[in-house]
Amino acid sequence: MQQPVRIRDLAGFLGVLREETGLDLTEELAHADLADVPAWDSVHLLRLIMAMEEETGTGIPVAAVLEARTMADIHALVVHGGAVQ
Amino acid sequence: MSTPALFPVAGGLGEAIAVTTADAPWGRVREQLLGHGTALVHGTLGDWRPQDDDSEQLRALLGRDWPRYRDLAHTEMRGRYVASRRLLKYAAGAVLRARPEDLELGYGPTGRPYLRGCDQIDISLSHTEDLLLVGLTTRGLIGVDAERADRGIYSKGLGKHICTPKELMDLAALPEPERNPSLVRLWTLKEAYSKAIGQGMQFRFTEFGFGPDGKPAQVQRPDGTPGAGDEWSFGTFGLHSARSAYCVSAAVYDSGLGRTLDTEITTMLDNEATDAITQALNSATDEATGHAGDRECRP
Repeated sequence: MQQPVRIRDLAGFLGVLREETGLDLTEELAHADLADVPAWDSVHLLRLIMAMEEETGTGIPVAAVLEARTMADIHALVVHGGAVQ
Repeated sequence: MSTPALFPVAGGLGEAIAVTTADAPWGRVREQLLGHGTALVHGTLGDWRPQDDDSEQLRALLGRDWPRYRDLAHTEMRGRYVASRRLLKYAAGAVLRARPEDLELGYGPTGRPYLRGCDQIDISLSHTEDLLLVGLTTRGLIGVDAERADRGIYSKGLGKHICTPKELMDLAALPEPERNPSLVRLWTLKEAYSKAIGQGMQFRFTEFGFGPDGKPAQVQRPDGTPGAGDEWSFGTFGLHSARSAYCVSAAVYDSGLGRTLDTEITTMLDNEATDAITQALNSATDEATGHAGDRECRP
């Protein structure tokens, strides 16, 4: 199974998140600690998990995502962490 | 301004008290803490954000949080960070009868805040949009959480990541207009509980529940059986602030030691320990100066 095109790179991943959350997420913010991202909270994190499950068609390593410190880290988990075949 | 409790509250959490920089009824906050062992205060981001974000006064107030504050790149994050810490320190200072700038915050391994050297008071902080919320308790542990009351969670299908199987069933059985508010309530209760125990999101929300509205909230196992005893109290409130409606929840753990009736910071000193330290210091001084036995023990 190929990686979903939309989230294959960080920019595409952020685009999906912008659609889901309505937040203005930049590549700079993607590398910031999640606690420092304006308006980011745990509800958005859950929406991210759901959105990635829809994009990949498979489950996401939720425990690892919850421990991730940045959106870039989460992107790496989704793309390289086994959720995408 | 005060707000009524929407749901029956076990343990008497009292009302959330609005405080502004111009008019802060700290006497009522102290009364609530004395009467209930717990107090909730709320303010707005716009009011508690300082006009000068680089003053010596602000640096003194933030103390060890100053470097962290200066490192925040975004204006919005800086404003929220400093406003929440100001409200927290002023509220804690009011009940401890201490200057806010004399209080230091510490953070546990999961980021849970506490007051350094003041274990007679536990604290919790929540902020969403323009609302700042602070919880204080002398009973043991506290966690608070606030969420916009109309935040769309249910329709997005987030319930399966938040709810136990029983909670999902209970929600589905509700009339459609009640499902989202009930899920927001569950969300804030779970956030408050996980913050009280210092677990944050690492505590899987699907593995504990709170049951439906209209009854005193109690931690439940996924199958709906009780998961904790009376040592935990929970409450949920409706709150209006800055023209928005919020759902607020608080979780309080009673350690069984009773309410601390006098939280003034100076009276927390143990007299016996103080006497022993004073004696030892006096003895050491007297030995050095050759005046052993001349001095009283009490300061």
